Amino acid sequence: MDFLRPATWEDALAMKAARPDATPIQGGTDVMVEINLDKGRPTALLDLNPVAELSRWSWTAGPAPMLRVGAGVTYTRLIAELGGWLPGLAQASRTVGSPQIRNRGTLVGNLGAASPAGDGHPPLLASGALVEAESVRGTRLIPIGEFYMGVKRNALEGDELIRAVHVPPAAGPQCFAKVGTRNAMVIAVCSFAVALDLRARRAGTGIGSAAPTPRRAHAAEEFLAGELDWDGAGPVDPALARRFGELVAEAAAPIDDVRGRADYRRHALAVMARRALGWAWAEREV
Amino acid sequence: MTVWREAVGTPAARVEGPAKVTGRAGYTYDRPVTDPAYAFPVQATIARGRVASIDSAAAAGVEGVLAVVTHRDAARLADTGDAELAVLQSDEVGFRGQFVGVVVAETPQAARYAAGLVRVEYEQRPHDTELRADRPGLYAPEQVNGGFVSDTDEGDVDAAMEAAAVTVDRAYTTPMEFNSPMEPHVSVAVWDPGERAPGGGFAEGARLTLFDSTQGPHVVRSTLAQVFGLPPERVRVISPYVGGGFGSKGMPHAHNVLAALAAWAVPGRPVKLALTRQQMFALAGHRTPTIQRVRLGAGADGRLTAVAHEVVEHTSAIKEFAEQTAVGARMMYAAPNRRTSHRLAALDVPVPSWMRAPGEAPGFFALEVAMDELAQACGLDPIELRARNDPEVDPESGRPWSGRHLVRCLREGAARFGWAERTAPGTRLVGRELVGLGVAASTYPYYRLPGSRAVVEYEGGGRYTVRIGAADIGTGAWTALTQIAADALGCRLRAVRVEIGDSDLPAATVAGGSSGTTSWGSAVVAACRAFRHVYGEQPPAGAEAGADMPDDPDAERFAMHSFGAQFAEVRVDADTGEVRVPRMLGVFSVGRVVNPRTARSQFIGGMTMGLSMALHERGVLDHRTGHVINHDLAEYHIATHADVVDVDAVWLDEEDVHAGPLGARGIGEIGIVGAAAAIANAVHNATGVRVRDLPITPDVLLR
Repeated sequence: MDFLRPATWEDALAMKAARPDATPIQGGTDVMVEINLDKGRPTALLDLNPVAELSRWSWTAGPAPMLRVGAGVTYTRLIAELGGWLPGLAQASRTVGSPQIRNRGTLVGNLGAASPAGDGHPPLLASGALVEAESVRGTRLIPIGEFYMGVKRNALEGDELIRAVHVPPAAGPQCFAKVGTRNAMVIAVCSFAVALDLRARRAGTGIGSAAPTPRRAHAAEEFLAGELDWDGAGPVDPALARRFGELVAEAAAPIDDVRGRADYRRHALAVMARRALGWAWAEREV
Repeated sequence: MTVWREAVGTPAARVEGPAKVTGRAGYTYDRPVTDPAYAFPVQATIARGRVASIDSAAAAGVEGVLAVVTHRDAARLADTGDAELAVLQSDEVGFRGQFVGVVVAETPQAARYAAGLVRVEYEQRPHDTELRADRPGLYAPEQVNGGFVSDTDEGDVDAAMEAAAVTVDRAYTTPMEFNSPMEPHVSVAVWDPGERAPGGGFAEGARLTLFDSTQGPHVVRSTLAQVFGLPPERVRVISPYVGGGFGSKGMPHAHNVLAALAAWAVPGRPVKLALTRQQMFALAGHRTPTIQRVRLGAGADGRLTAVAHEVVEHTSAIKEFAEQTAVGARMMYAAPNRRTSHRLAALDVPVPSWMRAPGEAPGFFALEVAMDELAQACGLDPIELRARNDPEVDPESGRPWSGRHLVRCLREGAARFGWAERTAPGTRLVGRELVGLGVAASTYPYYRLPGSRAVVEYEGGGRYTVRIGAADIGTGAWTALTQIAADALGCRLRAVRVEIGDSDLPAATVAGGSSGTTSWGSAVVAACRAFRHVYGEQPPAGAEAGADMPDDPDAERFAMHSFGAQFAEVRVDADTGEVRVPRMLGVFSVGRVVNPRTARSQFIGGMTMGLSMALHERGVLDHRTGHVINHDLAEYHIATHADVVDVDAVWLDEEDVHAGPLGARGIGEIGIVGAAAAIANAVHNATGVRVRDLPITPDVLLR
């Protein structure tokens, strides 16, 4: 196994172009686990940790600026520095591993790994994030909904690396919920994120650990946009919340595995979706 | 009786605490040795068969590799009949993960890399790893762990069940569980080869020093001496600090032998071997899965007429270990008709072994959930049911109890825990959480094992050294033995220095069976008394006296057991089934408590392990491959801090006058016994759902 260690982003892109077989490693919380579990040995590792510019975040230009979160920004920093703009993502980040893992792990590293159970994916889907993929050929922005291609497979070309992820700042309350078989250090049995956009009067959703890829619940989103009383005071109509939950559960395609049964996952998703909507809506009143 | 002066019974801080928290305490792998080499095992990737060929050329060619040892060239061991320890002696493979080779190299990295290059081809045979109660080939072992008979049968259980007004007849299961101490199993082997014998065998004059992480340096020494065909005095085992064991380090396992074989292959080089977390799941022992049928028959008043506890469990085809799961049911409750049995399936699985409270821990999950079911069926409070069935004398032996205070523990706990607030099952909803309380009884036998000796030496200047080859695996033995010696000598705590953890010290039995403090402590008391008898209060510097642990005549006349009451509150999310345990309380009757600080830590540690057993722990064996697929701490869940909220333990203020000079019965294991049942019973009280299979996961509560 070759170990490639670029010092700059330019070097990293050049190396990736020369070695499309290389597996990028950022924090290592996915890649090293796979290696330690003997789930295949990469022919080469491309260590992006030394690339200093990746650990920065900034605002994008334009009429609707987004947060451009560099590939090296750790969960700990994301929570501390960006939590005010990205509350759903910060909430999900707090459930990742332990403090040590959050000090090391990065949102974008886990994004590249594209595990269906990754905690960061549902809020990225709910927010409508864009993945900034770059290669020596140039840069493109991939809508997050088109990024996940299959279990641990993403839409990157062989020579591309993720430079950053662009996330719109919250335009309303956001909420993340997760069921696990213990209270910390746990891979989700299933998870759910909702992001309300109060100006545009629509909701984004993200489902985790309940399909081959993280995915949105489109029908549930359309239902909320059309049926939620966006001007209404007081709590969400229970019947509406229940229907929303059902639509979220219908969007999932879970399996039975060691962590839980498919029917339990569907049920728990409906509960989490209903609750997350209620919590987010209640936050609007504060 | 010793008159306890001032040390025993006080919460003395751990004497080795500062060394541990400052990093000065040398754990086994960190032990400095000259010019060490590093071993990494090659493990079988089939569950049963034989090694057809091994190609180690690529591994041997890796820079820094010193040796690749397989069954073809490993030194020959004595035949002790223990197939687990007959490491690399044949081409047979008895379970997936068994050692088939080892690479020794200049660095751990090179060894690990090279081990991955060793190509082994197998002649695979069909394997069988699945435990079922209806499978053919189940057999009754000659005896079960602890030396108990496999089966007992008194009266006529079937007739009593037939005639009983109220009955419970249910099956309960517990999964494969793993000890998972924080420090993995580690051995550092150093040979002084003497004259090397022709043919690669062990020479007459060879000496082996093993730095080891073990619960019994003397146990490892005597066993390995036999395996290597050496006189015991030519094997030394050193193990002052141990990062947990829970039984998995109570006897030598294959890695000890592998480390020594690896070191023998590289003359002049000490060899370090540390099992990885994943390797521990195949090589460090585990608790068998159990399928338990419990039958209880009672009158309408709840008085038991029949108790039957019949267990099916597994062992490894290559070595028998029979967990004594049903033994606790023989003495726990009064009933004229009682039956217990153990049936084993010898499977192609790793070798099971001791895990905290072997027997009682899984057995009392079943028995105490069944008692809760009986209480429900009789319309009785579970505490009242247990009180009505509290036997005057030991139902099995007919002997009087040395002190049975189970009912006091239950009533004391009920008052402290707020048991009166318990409502009917599934009726207490707080927000969207169903709240429930549960109780279970707990017990653990008193074991005082013969074979320990202590020596006391006066160093001059008012200072004494007490030597005994015991082990502190985090239990507090360093501290408790210091307290015991201080009081037995009549001096201050700081005047005593205890030396343990070395087989060059006087013989000591294993840190197992909750017997350490009582066994070693009795020997220490005897040695201190012998010392004072010979030298009085004004000994000359260098004065030394020792004594063996005295006999324990009361152990033959009394039934001696510790008891406890376990209480749990659970909150179950009514919509998702997630279970939280906000409170646990244990009330224990264990005789005298030598050190309340370390004792409390033992109790709540055991209860926490019981919580983990109730809600989290489950080894998943893939029967297609014989592989424990969740063999790491990411997937084999153990309770985290976030799962453990308020766990408290208290104990009756007492001494057991029949339990040796200390009046203490041992405390290391009782904390886990009944804890999982208390939680399962609380889950029933919260939800009305009776869970009979561990662990309790959210999905089963929504069925």
